[in-house]
Amino acid sequence: MARPILMPQVGQDLTEGKVTALNVKVGDTVGKGDIVAEVESEKAVFEVEAFETGTVLEIRCAVGGMATVLEPLIMVGEEGETVPSVPAAGFSGEDAQAIVGKAAESVAVLPVEAGHQAEALLRTGTGGSSPLARRIAAAAGLDLAAIQGSGPRGAVVKRDVEAYQRSGKGGPTSVVAFSGGPARPAAGGTLPLRTLQSGTGDPVVFIHGFGGELSAWRPLLAHLGLANPVLALDLPGHGSAAGVTASDFEALVAAVHGALAADKVERLHLVGHSLGAAVAASIAGGGDLDVRSLSLLSPAGLGPKINGDYVAGFLSASSEAALRVWLELLVHDPATLPGVLVRATLAGRDGTAMVDNQARLASGVFAGSTQLFSVRDALKRFGGPTRVIVGTEDRIIPAAQAEGLPAHVALHRLPQVGHLPQLEAAALVGRLVTETVRSAG
Amino acid sequence: MAREIMYRDALREAIDEEMERDATVFILGEGIAERGGSYKVTEGLLAKYGAKRVRDTPIAEAGMIGVGVGAAIAGARPIVEILYIDFAMLGMDMLVNQAAKFRLMTGGDGRVPFVMRTQGGTGGGVAAQHSQSLEALFYHIPGLKVVMPSTPADAKGLLKYALRQSDPVMFLEHKHLYMTKGLVPDDEHVVEFGKADIKRPGSDVTLIAWSNMVPRALEAAAKLAEQGIEAEVLDPRTLVPLDKQAILASVARTNRVVIAQEAVRRGGVASDIASIIQEEAFFELDAPIEIVAGLNIPIPFNLELEKASVPQVDDIVAAARRALHAKPLALAAE
Repeated sequence: MARPILMPQVGQDLTEGKVTALNVKVGDTVGKGDIVAEVESEKAVFEVEAFETGTVLEIRCAVGGMATVLEPLIMVGEEGETVPSVPAAGFSGEDAQAIVGKAAESVAVLPVEAGHQAEALLRTGTGGSSPLARRIAAAAGLDLAAIQGSGPRGAVVKRDVEAYQRSGKGGPTSVVAFSGGPARPAAGGTLPLRTLQSGTGDPVVFIHGFGGELSAWRPLLAHLGLANPVLALDLPGHGSAAGVTASDFEALVAAVHGALAADKVERLHLVGHSLGAAVAASIAGGGDLDVRSLSLLSPAGLGPKINGDYVAGFLSASSEAALRVWLELLVHDPATLPGVLVRATLAGRDGTAMVDNQARLASGVFAGSTQLFSVRDALKRFGGPTRVIVGTEDRIIPAAQAEGLPAHVALHRLPQVGHLPQLEAAALVGRLVTETVRSAG
Repeated sequence: MAREIMYRDALREAIDEEMERDATVFILGEGIAERGGSYKVTEGLLAKYGAKRVRDTPIAEAGMIGVGVGAAIAGARPIVEILYIDFAMLGMDMLVNQAAKFRLMTGGDGRVPFVMRTQGGTGGGVAAQHSQSLEALFYHIPGLKVVMPSTPADAKGLLKYALRQSDPVMFLEHKHLYMTKGLVPDDEHVVEFGKADIKRPGSDVTLIAWSNMVPRALEAAAKLAEQGIEAEVLDPRTLVPLDKQAILASVARTNRVVIAQEAVRRGGVASDIASIIQEEAFFELDAPIEIVAGLNIPIPFNLELEKASVPQVDDIVAAARRALHAKPLALAAE
């Protein structure tokens, strides 16, 4: 059966890319891992890999032409086989998801520079502090990294945390809870609201997490059984809003709020991931917009802990291999991490203030491994249908922090899933989001 | 009021009082009747209760334990005294496959109110076959209760309790303790299983110890106090059932733990207690749990080597200092 080689998802909210080279012609045999084409986004050139062996049956786009992201670029199959006449229409997002998933398998993991790997291992370890010291610091909202340790090999132990607290340096960090009041706008522009799917009814607005971008939602769309319009935006410092800055959680919420107001979206469903989920919860709890339902994937803002090593490592990694090491922390099974995600993240940074703006945002919302904001009150105030979905293997935000939510909130704990349930359990997440939206009527 | 008596006298009082109270209690063992026992625990009992209830046996531990388990199943309350715990190995089938399983296999109808009194541990150069600490073997077998008293009062109270409950009890004494003295209440004194005893309260580190390690832990605590460290000494008294709540509560107070056992380190009860603590009180811990245990070797005959093969007071002191992230004493002086 003929199978497509897809035009990769190559950049920030990129919907199409230019084919700059084709290394195969119809009738050629390609093998798994062969580079069959090169395509160009506005910033970089990407290689297109074959993910299975076969004969090239059809090439859908000539050199110099524009190819649509996640649409078939080349069809491969048995020699002499005919390609269905309208394969593009019959090709579902689910297939795309499968192929994107397969891409991960075929992307060779490049040797990581020794120095960086060592650093990564050091920073992801839990050594350097006693369990009790970590517990006290987390409860007090302190950044352990700022505390001088006196234990074995400089480990931070209880007496160090207590001495730090006594010194006054570590007055508990204030916990911000957005209440929908007047807010400072983000600097450097507004956030564009993009339509991912047109439809009828109240729009469903998707908000991505830290380090993500709106186009990352696309693979999930195939799993939504909704006729509603689907909108998404890029957070300040992310994707097409790389140049927009927000320096704390309130500014972040205000920026999203502003974007919704600018497009006169007043009655909506919100779906958020991680930091974006916290923003969604804040807006829902603010009460001035008519939020019909709330779907929160791996939400931030429910407890003090976040993996600060991940945030720092993600921002500092500058090679594909180094970034991959960090991004693998996002998933339970590294094989589910699409290679294009790694490349697209790096490409998106190129020539923009993205890393600086994300670092600024990170320092305003996280202190080391502590989240400086809480949306628990906002969740309490928002009485509408609310679903929280977490992966029990989440290595960025501990799943246990989603315990003890208000009684009207449904909690789904997905086993064998990490911080990206929308990737690792796309079908179920799609179904749960759909049910949440429909339950609001 | 209370009297100061020896551990061995406290044991005799317990047996005497329970034999007087309950006619089904009897005791059998090697040299316990005419000779009054190698450690003089049963002295005088033959004259008081007669040869039917205080019986000498041949040197045949498998037979003695088998008789005891059988008598218990038949409704008596036997105490079988095994001279050295090392010799109890001869009766392991009766203990592990019969006594420990009978209650389960009869759907709870059959009970085995059997008490095996024996003693273990090092002392006086009696070498590898007479010095072992084998509590972990019994601790490992569901269905057996494991009791390890460290003081005369606990010895009396726990033995009296053992003779009033209905499951097989491994009552493990220590050869070093028979001549130690302590206060024992004059009145009826029964100590329930599964209740740990804080032998000394303290706030800086918890020393968990049983049997002969309790006096050593107390001595270590006294030394630590001179260094400004207040150690809490917790004696579980019974390893099965184990007073987990008392251990977790103490860890929550002190945040540091040293577990001292005379038995070899490998596969020991200390490792299991450490595992319970890390599982249930991980975020109370400010330092790795320290285990002070015997070396993984048969106990040597040579007295100095015997001493080197099991924990001494200074080993416990050093471990407590490590748990407090304090310098070793040799360096602290500088």
